[in-house]
Amino acid sequence: MLEARSLTRKYGDFTAVSDISFSINEGEIVGMLGPNGAGKTTTLRMLTGFLPPTSGTVRIADIDIFENPKEAKKQIGYLPENVALYPEMRVEEYLYMRARLEGIRKSERKKMINSAIEECLIEDVRHQIIRTLSKGYKQRVALAATLLHKPKVLILDEPTVGLDPGQIIAIRKLIKELGKERTLILSTHILPEVELICKKVIIIDKGKKIAEGTLDDLAKQLKGEETLIVQFKEKVKEETINELSQAVKAKNVYLDNGTIKLLVKEQDKARETIFNFAVAKNLTLLELSAEKKSLEDIFVRLTTQENLELEEEKQ
Amino acid sequence: MNRIVAVLTRELRTFLVSPMGWGIIIAFLLYTGFAFMLIISVLIDPRAPFINPFRFYSESFFFWMFLLFATPVLTMRLFSEERKTGSIEMLLTTPISEGEAVIGKFLGVLLFYIVLWLPTLVYIFLLKDKIDFDWGNIASWYLGIILIGAFYLSVGTFASTLTRNQVIAAMYAFIMSFLLLLPSFLTFIVTGEPLKTVISYLDVLSHLQEFSAGVVDSRRLVYYLSGIAFFLFTAARSLEMVKWR
Repeated sequence: MLEARSLTRKYGDFTAVSDISFSINEGEIVGMLGPNGAGKTTTLRMLTGFLPPTSGTVRIADIDIFENPKEAKKQIGYLPENVALYPEMRVEEYLYMRARLEGIRKSERKKMINSAIEECLIEDVRHQIIRTLSKGYKQRVALAATLLHKPKVLILDEPTVGLDPGQIIAIRKLIKELGKERTLILSTHILPEVELICKKVIIIDKGKKIAEGTLDDLAKQLKGEETLIVQFKEKVKEETINELSQAVKAKNVYLDNGTIKLLVKEQDKARETIFNFAVAKNLTLLELSAEKKSLEDIFVRLTTQENLELEEEKQ
Repeated sequence: MNRIVAVLTRELRTFLVSPMGWGIIIAFLLYTGFAFMLIISVLIDPRAPFINPFRFYSESFFFWMFLLFATPVLTMRLFSEERKTGSIEMLLTTPISEGEAVIGKFLGVLLFYIVLWLPTLVYIFLLKDKIDFDWGNIASWYLGIILIGAFYLSVGTFASTLTRNQVIAAMYAFIMSFLLLLPSFLTFIVTGEPLKTVISYLDVLSHLQEFSAGVVDSRRLVYYLSGIAFFLFTAARSLEMVKWR
């Protein structure tokens, strides 16, 4: 349904997105997860044809978005991160204008607008001026506008940012509902949001794709094996290293510039064993640490970010 | 076509529901009312030779002051506001092309410009029993007003694609409009050929005088229509460039 191939985008010397490729099948709900500033918005803007990539291609329903933007854009419903409506218009007028922009025939406009209004639960504000709406309602109106032309792919960029907790819950529920019969890409920096809505996730950090897969796969990857870095003050013989690796049941051992790297299964136990081993052999332990995986690193950052935000909210 | 109409209607509507739009209408009516009063006070003087009031208006400072100061205000928000609020992202991710967006906005502001001039027809009805009007002259004068106005509005449309700041957009439009009016101001200084001929092609104010005399010269039509096409084309390209920045 959607295929991005080696997308790269530079702003001057700064590379915002570097060589990102992925493909999304029909009916999939995919979360694009990454901390703030990871390049999510830039990637989505390239998917929607708003931003031309420095290199790479995007195909939507097998239509190249830069060769045939008109046809490709008809397949997309895009909710930008910064929802900017025309504040002086009434909700219904705005949707009517959007329907016209999408090229919906006059005979069908009313029907399409009504169904979008119904789906996004904005019946009670349809005659209200957009300026007077709450942020949550504005988000719903914008969402309704992206549904008008029955797009095959829905792309939502941080749809819950800036909403209050009640609104967030409501919008998430709505998005989940919308994803039932559509292909949907949702970008977010909030881990639970992905867990709640998406089955598949693409993780982006510093402009690069770090991981892609179902949430279960990624969790397994995280809980699995770990590489421990060990360094002794003394020069150790090869037999000692072998002895050590047997002691911690290492799956793999390799030496790197005086440090020993051990691939182990149970990290905590292994650490203990290494420490006792060093004491027994009268070796001075200089370093004992786990090698950071970028995936884990990013999860840690995502969860801490979430916690920080929660704390801020409490205060 | 439908997409152009969608943008056009929104633009025209914004003018007609906003206090700014009505402010412009009121200011314009005060301004033309003052011009009308002044022209009448000259014309009723029995010693004054008969002058065509439209020619009089075209020769006075009223029109170029209006072009220079009013058209930038009309066009300044077209694209710069959309860029500032970010609604441009929504507009350009619908299946509309940059060219259609530019044409829609331009036609919207042009229609408002025409609405602005509509009440001046009242002056003609007030005078029609006193002065022997040539209706052909009046029609060609209005054609000139619309053509020249459209030209300056296309300049302003282009200017508003250049920046997110409305005031700066108005400044750009003002500077470009001033440069385009410069030949008219230079006619008093330049005497030698061939410069004089060149300037006569570009001299907006004397063109309006021609229109007021009922002369519709095809060279003028070519000048304005190609000028409008040029600035709208440039505006569309400039809008594409916005995405690259």
